[in-house]
Amino acid sequence: MSGCARLSDRMPEVVHGRSRWTPDEAAHLAGCADCRRELALVQATVAMGRKAPRLTDPAGLAATVERRLAGARLRRRDGTRRIAGLAAAAALLIMVWGRWPARPAPTAAGSPAQSLVPLPELELLDPAELDSLLQRMEMPSAGSSTLDAPGLGDLEDTELEQVLDTWEG
Amino acid sequence: MTPAPLPEPSDQALVAAYRHGDQRAASELVRRHGPAVARFLYSSGALAADIEDLVQETLFRAFRGLDRWRGEASFRSWLFTIAGNLTRDAFRRRKGREVISLEDRDLPDRADPDAELAAGELEERLRAELGRLPRLQREVFLLRAQEGTSYEEIAAALGTTPGAARVHYHHAVKRLKELVG
Repeated sequence: MSGCARLSDRMPEVVHGRSRWTPDEAAHLAGCADCRRELALVQATVAMGRKAPRLTDPAGLAATVERRLAGARLRRRDGTRRIAGLAAAAALLIMVWGRWPARPAPTAAGSPAQSLVPLPELELLDPAELDSLLQRMEMPSAGSSTLDAPGLGDLEDTELEQVLDTWEG
Repeated sequence: MTPAPLPEPSDQALVAAYRHGDQRAASELVRRHGPAVARFLYSSGALAADIEDLVQETLFRAFRGLDRWRGEASFRSWLFTIAGNLTRDAFRRRKGREVISLEDRDLPDRADPDAELAAGELEERLRAELGRLPRLQREVFLLRAQEGTSYEEIAAALGTTPGAARVHYHHAVKRLKELVG
């Protein structure tokens, strides 16, 4: 490291009073205009900092900062509560929508593949046998009113599937 | 024999105390570092009238984001990086407008008013030129020259390497030395 670079590295320590020039460094400084200019620059920078406006009331400043922090914490908590409230409202809305009577049952909107699942035993019947079976299913049983036993045409798809499942065992 | 004074608590200890609700720890940190932050802001070109507000904003952001201070750099250097961000934002907001004002300040009486005037002018030019330096050069220079911070600590605070910090410092010195004449 050259004499100039070594001096440059040491300047802040010397200017801040944490160290002193060695005789060699002092001799270099005396003979090097460039190093003297750098030293003047560092000294001017330190002097400039000393002219910065003084903080009038550090304790008051700390209290102000703490008040602002408390306000920010409160706002954040309010924001979290608001988001939680919105989420709860959204969940409630979804629940209500899901149970709304006018809405078709979820399986009605199922994929076509799901609604075309073949019934292994019924599919073995020929069309005439199937018609006959369905007609028998549509006939109300003796002693029961049509109000108590709705026809197959009145059933929802899911209910119809359940009936067919029962028939098939 | 008088008992030896108790050693001052470290910044880490004060930050830990503040996290546990000790408001006095915050006051102590402000007392300890506020003036240095003010020096840094002033030297970076902030207007004297804005310094107190900027120091307050720096401390507010620092305490709000204390979890981000991991202690690799000193608390003071970390405050300087926050203050540096604020200064940059302030420059952006007033771009195209005056950055540095030549203010009438109460200068102490000295035997040589001409020398004092020259020193005052030099400082104003220095502030103006510092404001024109690239951000890293300015911050490295101020941390090193004004606060005597080591390159290692500067590097930790500014997210660079000690070698790069040294290069930034020398670039800044080269440019600013022209002002000294």
